[in-house]
Amino acid sequence: MRKLLRNELLSIFLSSNTSKVGITFLAIMIIASAYVVIFMPLDFGLRYWNNPTFWADYPKLVPPEWVNIFLGDKLLRHTILTAEKPTLSLEDVKQYILTYSHDSDQLPQTVVFKLNNMTFTYTPIIELSVRRPDGRVIDLLVIQPLTSGVSERVDLSGRLEVAVALSRFLKDEFNVSISATEIIQRKLEFKILMGTPVASNGYVDFKTLRGNYMFNIFLRSDDPTARIGSVEVVVFGWCYGFMGTDHLGRDLSQALLYGFPVALLIGVVTSVITAAVGALAGVVSGYYGGIVDEVIQRLCDILNNIPLLPLLIFFMFVIRMNEELRRTISPLAVIIIVLVVFSWAGIAIIVRSMVLSIKAQQFIEASIAVGASSIRVMFKHILPQVAPFIFAQMMFLTPSAILSEAALSLLGLSDPSIPTWGQILESAFANQAMYLGLWWWIVPPGLLIMYSAITFVFIAQGLEPIVEPRLRRV
Amino acid sequence: MIAVLYGVLILTGVIIGVTGLSDIVLYNIVDERLRIVKQQLAIKIKDPEQLNRAVEELKQEFIRAYDLDKPWYARIPRVIYQIMILDLGTSRSTLSFSGSNKVVDIILERLPNTVLMVTTAVLISSLVGLVVGLWSASRVGSFLDRSTSLISAISYSLPTWWFGMVVILIFAYELRLFPSGGMTTPGLTTTDPITRFLDLLWHLFLPVLTLFVALVGSWIYVTRSIVISITKEDFIVVGRAKGLPERVIRNRYLLRNSAPPILTNMILGLAGSITGAILTEAIFNWPGMGSLYYNAILSADINMILALTYIYTLVYVVARFILEILYVVLDPRVRY
Repeated sequence: MRKLLRNELLSIFLSSNTSKVGITFLAIMIIASAYVVIFMPLDFGLRYWNNPTFWADYPKLVPPEWVNIFLGDKLLRHTILTAEKPTLSLEDVKQYILTYSHDSDQLPQTVVFKLNNMTFTYTPIIELSVRRPDGRVIDLLVIQPLTSGVSERVDLSGRLEVAVALSRFLKDEFNVSISATEIIQRKLEFKILMGTPVASNGYVDFKTLRGNYMFNIFLRSDDPTARIGSVEVVVFGWCYGFMGTDHLGRDLSQALLYGFPVALLIGVVTSVITAAVGALAGVVSGYYGGIVDEVIQRLCDILNNIPLLPLLIFFMFVIRMNEELRRTISPLAVIIIVLVVFSWAGIAIIVRSMVLSIKAQQFIEASIAVGASSIRVMFKHILPQVAPFIFAQMMFLTPSAILSEAALSLLGLSDPSIPTWGQILESAFANQAMYLGLWWWIVPPGLLIMYSAITFVFIAQGLEPIVEPRLRRV
Repeated sequence: MIAVLYGVLILTGVIIGVTGLSDIVLYNIVDERLRIVKQQLAIKIKDPEQLNRAVEELKQEFIRAYDLDKPWYARIPRVIYQIMILDLGTSRSTLSFSGSNKVVDIILERLPNTVLMVTTAVLISSLVGLVVGLWSASRVGSFLDRSTSLISAISYSLPTWWFGMVVILIFAYELRLFPSGGMTTPGLTTTDPITRFLDLLWHLFLPVLTLFVALVGSWIYVTRSIVISITKEDFIVVGRAKGLPERVIRNRYLLRNSAPPILTNMILGLAGSITGAILTEAIFNWPGMGSLYYNAILSADINMILALTYIYTLVYVVARFILEILYVVLDPRVRY
């Protein structure tokens, strides 16, 4: 009989489209969270997200790559070229060749040479040059590393030696003279490096050359042990990845993905504890009555009349001000505790009124007459009757917990070591993303917050016909 | 109701006491006063050693005056008393528009702005919600009726402040139709009341639109479910069975009985929206209490945060109190 009833309830639940959508959304959320837990480091926030050096080779504030589908003028892709071993190795010179094919009118933001882990006994000479599609070669820079074992990062833009080389190249090859300082001031480095000058009404303009660029790195040394661990050439494009990047060049898609388990954790933990506390208090209050009931209900009245957000802000602020406290307890845990403490009352009040009417029914009287203990009556006979309601309330509490955390993140009061969607929005707001039109920094995190919240609202709405049989449409 | 207020006050008092926050605040005040006194003393006393001794004496005196030598629980009654008589101290970082740095002045100046924005939004959204809710309740199963639960789900799970950011992005940045924030155009010097009013409306549009979208869904849903549940009551069935005209049933039986719960929602919604609009105000830089809160957090202005937490609670509790009174007026069945 009981099993039959449960199946019937389940089929009522599954009959509505709302609950089907809710369950599907939840499944996607769980899969995303599982992926993160398995494949991403759990200390992602501290080790990568809040570590600007990790993101140095990412372009800053660029939109996602898929915007190219909608754009006429394609944005230049971000390209990283690497070589572990020299392409040519002679007795006293090792040559690394990295070929980059450029097929866009757009110029890169900058080009960075990275020479990782250079080891040697005597200082070698390292020459950087580029061979353009038209066969012209520009010798860019000569580096002499002083200590063995170091890495060198050479940014071509804004570097005087490079500008001097480019200025000389222009004079020799095209008989155009632009001084090195002017090149730096007008940011002409890549126009010259990747273009040919054309005169347009008395003003020098540049036409971008498409084709294969060969970035050459020569390591000249008599020392046979001299070597470069690996070389990289990073061509900084104007779009990146699936979700674009923020002001530090951080790949937003990673943090967006990481937000799934965090949101799920905050929402589910808060709602489960709140529902449990509320149900327990409600059942006890309704079943025992008398002074117990009075105390619990007055407490509920008080808690129910307190505006949650200001208090939450206040608590989180206190935590932020107190260093000692912050080290012992994570702000996320505090959010959960405060939410539980101030939200169980609502459930308790309604559960109590439901318990009062259930208690008056005869089967309760019967089981007391047979000698069932109070605990048994409460948990075996009363609780199952109010369970669907509690479950539905739990589903409604989950989104409010997720939304509260996001709101506190926006105020900068959440746990900075764990990136959440709210924190992405906080940094977007703090860095004027709205006024710069950086939609990819604002829209996706909010949509995901909404997505995770609406998942549980849908499930709660699907549960409504079970909780409130009057709403059933048969 | 009053118990709630006291409860919150004692709670916040204990929290700031236990965590040592009140010590920080008071020591700050003491240091501030000492600095001023030291400058004055330095004119009179030339010998640095003597000066230091005098300052040290004064410091001990101040510490005694602020009860800093006593444990935190001995100070709580005084703190609570001070907050209750709205002696909310001075702000460290903010000035009121008229230049005062007293917390009370700043808050009282900004309270009307918050009320203006929130009340406008709540009024519009509740009116639209009422009309649409009633309409969909009278046509159960229609397309609109079926989409109400979807609309309410979206409303419920929409982070209002994020929607505000998107609205700014679209209307203020892309289309450049509305200002991105503030309450008046800076540099607007005209005294023409109509121009000023239009300017205010122009600035009010985006925040009110944001709050409207966030509120209207739940309004439609709540009205609809209240009306539907009353439609299923016996007295409506009896009324129909008696052959009363549908108009009489609707106006006299249905609406009269739906009024108290709908009104409850309206006032609670208003009280809830005032606290809920904290972030929306911050996003739109609306010169109300919400953006004050935001700035107080950014500049770690403890006095201000304490006072605002109290004021927000006060607003909420007062709204609940008004509700209790209105209940008796509206619903003759309720008697105390």
